Amino acid sequence: MTFGVGSMEPGMDMQAVKIAINNRVGDLLPMIVVLLLASQTALADDAKKKITFDDHVLPILKARCVKCHAGAEPEQGLRLTSIRELLRGGMSGPAIRINAAESSLLWEKLASNAMPKGGPVLSAEEKGLIRAWINDGASSEAIVDDMEAKDQAGGGASEHWSFRPPVRPAIPGVQNGLRVRNAVDSFVLAALEAKGLSLSPDASREVLLRRASFDLIGLPPSPEEVREFLADQDEFAYERMIDRLLASPHYGERWARHWLDLAGYADSAGVLSEDRPLPTAYKFRDYVIRAFNGDKPYDRFLQEQLAGDELSDYWTAHETLDRLPDEVIEAITATGYLRCAADSSRPDFTTIKNADAQYFYPTINDTLQIVSSSTMGLTLQCARCHSHKFDPIPQTEYYRLQAVFMSALRPRQWIAQMDRRLQVATASQKKAADELNAKLNAEVARLRKELADLRAVHKQKLFDDRLATLPEVLRADVKTAFGKPVDQRTEVDKYLIEKFTAQLQPDDKTLDKLLPETYPDYRTGVDQRNADIAAQERQRVHFDEIRALYDLPGPVTTPLLRRGDALTPGAPVEPGVLSALTTPASFQWTPPAAEAKTSGRRLAFARWLTQPDHPLTSRVMANRIWLQHFGEGLVSTPEDFGTLGAAPSHPQLLDWLAREFVHSGWSIKHMHRLIMTSSAYRQRSTLDEATQATSLQLDADNRLLWRQRVRRVDAEPLRDAMLSVAGLLDQRLFGSPVPVARRGDGEVNVADGQNDRRRSIYVQVLRGNPLTMLQSHDQPVMETNCTRRSRSTVSTQALTLLNSDAAVAYSLAFADRALRESAESPVHFTALAALSREPTAEELKIYHEFITQQQGRHVARGAQPDAARRLALADLCHMLLASNEFVYLD
Amino acid sequence: MHDFNVPFRSRREVLTQLGSGFGGLALAALCGDLTPASHATDAAQHGLRLRSPHYEPRAKAVIQLFMHGGPSQVDLLDPKPELSRLDGKSPPAEVADDENRTTYLMGSPFKFSKHGQSGLEFSEVLPGIASHADDIAVVRSMFTEHRNHEQAIWMANTGLIVSGRPNIGSWVAYGLGAENQNLPAYVALPDPGGMPVDGARNWSSGWLPPLYQGTAIRSEGMPVLHLQPKTARAAEIDQGRMDLLRQLNNRHRQTRPGELELDARIASFELAARMQLTASDALDLNQETAETQKLYGLDQPKTRSYGKRCLMARRLIERGVRFVQLFMAGQPWDTHSSNTAGTRSCCEQTDLPVAGLLTDLKQRGLLDSTLIHWGGEFGRTPGAEQRADNKTRGNEGRDHHPYGFSVWLAGGGIRGGQAYGATDDFGYRSIINRTQTSDLHATILHLLGLDHEKLTFAHNGRDERLTDVYKAHVIKDLLA
Repeated sequence: MTFGVGSMEPGMDMQAVKIAINNRVGDLLPMIVVLLLASQTALADDAKKKITFDDHVLPILKARCVKCHAGAEPEQGLRLTSIRELLRGGMSGPAIRINAAESSLLWEKLASNAMPKGGPVLSAEEKGLIRAWINDGASSEAIVDDMEAKDQAGGGASEHWSFRPPVRPAIPGVQNGLRVRNAVDSFVLAALEAKGLSLSPDASREVLLRRASFDLIGLPPSPEEVREFLADQDEFAYERMIDRLLASPHYGERWARHWLDLAGYADSAGVLSEDRPLPTAYKFRDYVIRAFNGDKPYDRFLQEQLAGDELSDYWTAHETLDRLPDEVIEAITATGYLRCAADSSRPDFTTIKNADAQYFYPTINDTLQIVSSSTMGLTLQCARCHSHKFDPIPQTEYYRLQAVFMSALRPRQWIAQMDRRLQVATASQKKAADELNAKLNAEVARLRKELADLRAVHKQKLFDDRLATLPEVLRADVKTAFGKPVDQRTEVDKYLIEKFTAQLQPDDKTLDKLLPETYPDYRTGVDQRNADIAAQERQRVHFDEIRALYDLPGPVTTPLLRRGDALTPGAPVEPGVLSALTTPASFQWTPPAAEAKTSGRRLAFARWLTQPDHPLTSRVMANRIWLQHFGEGLVSTPEDFGTLGAAPSHPQLLDWLAREFVHSGWSIKHMHRLIMTSSAYRQRSTLDEATQATSLQLDADNRLLWRQRVRRVDAEPLRDAMLSVAGLLDQRLFGSPVPVARRGDGEVNVADGQNDRRRSIYVQVLRGNPLTMLQSHDQPVMETNCTRRSRSTVSTQALTLLNSDAAVAYSLAFADRALRESAESPVHFTALAALSREPTAEELKIYHEFITQQQGRHVARGAQPDAARRLALADLCHMLLASNEFVYLD
Repeated sequence: MHDFNVPFRSRREVLTQLGSGFGGLALAALCGDLTPASHATDAAQHGLRLRSPHYEPRAKAVIQLFMHGGPSQVDLLDPKPELSRLDGKSPPAEVADDENRTTYLMGSPFKFSKHGQSGLEFSEVLPGIASHADDIAVVRSMFTEHRNHEQAIWMANTGLIVSGRPNIGSWVAYGLGAENQNLPAYVALPDPGGMPVDGARNWSSGWLPPLYQGTAIRSEGMPVLHLQPKTARAAEIDQGRMDLLRQLNNRHRQTRPGELELDARIASFELAARMQLTASDALDLNQETAETQKLYGLDQPKTRSYGKRCLMARRLIERGVRFVQLFMAGQPWDTHSSNTAGTRSCCEQTDLPVAGLLTDLKQRGLLDSTLIHWGGEFGRTPGAEQRADNKTRGNEGRDHHPYGFSVWLAGGGIRGGQAYGATDDFGYRSIINRTQTSDLHATILHLLGLDHEKLTFAHNGRDERLTDVYKAHVIKDLLA
């Protein structure tokens, strides 16, 4: 064992040692770090070979190295005079990585005899000492480090536009006021008019319905909905249609998907090949669906996900109440957000050398990446290794932000992912359950013992009864033979045993059948006790479990990691936020009392993040909502609001929306309503003969929004729409994920025998086995998170849509639905259902001609006329589902 | 980011939306910038340019023979007489096992001998590969950063020990596109006997668009997923359907002029239809002579499976596929037990087919333009690993070993007949010309005409590259 400070008393457990040492850290000056290098593997060797820096390593360095590597101007900037200097390193970086000689620069130079330069090489023994010292944790009595002041200083407030709070701009005047339905239009139109452009006319009602329906609920309108909407002459028919969609429970399913992309949600732990399924992760998914459906204020939504446990005072409820209130359960479920990062850890991983660096820190880094990119539209991972080159984010602040989560995600007290969960129960419920279950265990054990005894008795009885059926002359000898210890058996005994074992002492499997058949009293006795055991088990108390994030008690240090490397730790930092951002309220956190159950760090961060004037929180989310309605954000890099990100196309509109968002009580549904009722949203996507030449010339990329954009339907709504149109969709909400499985040919499908009709959001997301149909349509590989989906056009998409079993099945079901629901005009029905509009006469002619010809082809291949007609209709359905019109929104 | 002068936005759109996994060039030219509202003005122009290499390539294609599990360097490519001399002894301190996983040093059971004019040394279990000694450069000084399979596999193929990044084949497909419009640019050939460890992630494009992901082609059954429906359609029925689809899409397109993404999708369906013919042709090994089949070991049960994949690889690169990766089921080189028998068995399955591939490529004049890369994610310990069942001498295993191991390269611009770099006397640690993974990656990209610092992709606000932040060097000594 090699600790930075103190000595270890025999019998102290690891946890106690860590806490003991942690407690001492607080006594030291803040700028001093004591490196806690707990190498469990080294524990056994501690006594026999303790190599220390001062006694063993420093003498070698002094004799052989410090001639060049010391003083005011050492070679390569590297001083080899103290552990601190070794860790700080020189121009090529740290000289040692703790516990990892093979990747330490010092060892590299010594092992290859590149050093000492010009002198004889080190002896094998000297090399061995240095190597072993590094590998055993580079111990010394105390490793202290003082960081240079400039590394500790914050970057200070930045002038970058998105780092300063949005101010509600005045609504601009426009020339063509008739097109202005709300403020959104004033901003869009003013920008267009400044360029001599104008808004395109409203799209047709069919187009608007289909567009709004996919945008809000991710499903096409049904034929009845199309007809009703077209027939609705009310002045506010459109607004009521939007309200109806916003009130649909399917709205949450669609919009949860956008958030789950950002959260990096998956139903498996990831990282290693086994990609262990997480059976309760879905509760977070369901939480997100409920949150959107209930229009949970976005500030509250973030607070719950970042610190639901602290916000709802989970621990007080846990310690003092009879049961957990629903709002507490909801809030701790929300912290599943912070559990989305891939984490392969198993309880036995703590014994792996440098497990923190190799397994735990990557999960922490991903968590921070998820938080910063989803909530603030910032990419911080550059600052993990060095101060950000472009954004004013010093490395220290990366670790300050990391410290916010360190009380929960402790790399040196890591809790394996399967153990990191909360029971939905209070302390008193758990205590009562433990007592009850203990009694129950005793009773079950007693019953099992009785079962075993009963069996032994009847086994012997069987032996005796069957022995009695053997010829008289053999009985005594056989009985004696079976009774003898194995090593005393004669050849004759062995012969007899071999001959009669099957009859007298059958194997357990045979006995299972034989004993109840032979002895009715045995059967009754066994049945009775099994029933008793089952009755006991029914009383057993099980608590639901939630994959939550929560703090561990006790202090924790967060070292800055030089070059982002956990094996070259630097000075500790305190929790904090990004100083480049101008916020009226600063990050308010004071260390909690020693006995506190939770540190309050995350809640302090959540409050800072969700303050009304935070420069990024409202802008980033307003931009994301806009993105889903127009196919592109006002900031076209929704994942990067930093200095390398794109400038907003409509800066004032973005700020106005951000302020409006906050002003509405952070209501996301309010934002939908606002955006979707604007003229800008309702525009046609098609070109207007009269204006297209000018528009294309002045703004070919449509950055100013002189028309709506043609958008491709995402992977999940595409699959859901096919299910829906085919009449197959199972519309139930929530619940355990539908399992998927990889077939022999490599296709990943809903597993055999599982419900393959549920919406895609309920299909299990295995990081290593994404559903083939979704993945080929750009569903992201959920490794960290997805801040913006890529959109590709690949032949595999065509192959999947044309030839997969699922697509073929959908087409047939679709045809059958048309025949069932519209026996007199199935062709008309398929077109209406698939494309959400009435087909034209010309189109109907094409469809009918196709059906006639295709039916003939099927008949020629041996199908009966009726069957051939069904197949031809299915072919029509299939091609409609594969067509561009089905896959794109106008 | 690629070195071409288009504005940031349209560049990104082009990158994420262009082309087809089954042939970028024609489609790229056809589609251009596919932002829904934008115009073809710069698109056709940049579709081709973004896929031309940064400089004159030495190789047009790569065949990567990935040796899952970590082949033992001291038993195959890196002879160590000192290790044999100290067989059974405790290791000296400078190479003592730093995790106490092995007990004593274990010399190789196999004999090494010199081959070819170069006298490059190979183990007796690689007789076929050894016969190509003068074309092969063994890199004996590799090291990696993790001793667990998955992380080391990610390091070897994606450049970092974290998951979710694009594999090198995806980078190549992204950088160069495909020469053949009807075949994928990047093909993975998994073992019909089972998936390799880490499964389909071995050919994932990570956060590069899925269009750059490797297409798994099977050597048994239907070669490409969904190439045909489960129940075959008669040709005229299929034709009728496709004619209808064409008609629907054309009508739709007529009222939406300038929406190039619609055109791209139409083209992708046409390509899918053509694929059905070309893929079947490309993978039809019956077109090969008996002699060729024998060369790859298709006539022998042990070598038949790997031989088929080697032969498919040749047929694919012959038709313009850029990157072909061969896998074995599971991780056969992971010889924790019975290292001797396990290593021998792997060699018996692969040595002859690999030798056949080299011979065949050379005969056909393809070796000069095809880079062969043989290697695993790490090496194995020079010390003996003892597990419960393998404690008898000769039956020990070797554990994972990241500090020094060997890979080899041949063909496509490689100067053969050399061993580059060296490990210490025990094969424990790479000490001379230490070669990190990123150096190897930079070299492979270089041979394909790609500059590893210029081949970047904007992701989450950062210009990502295969070699990430490493100071990677093209290994000039390896170049012909």
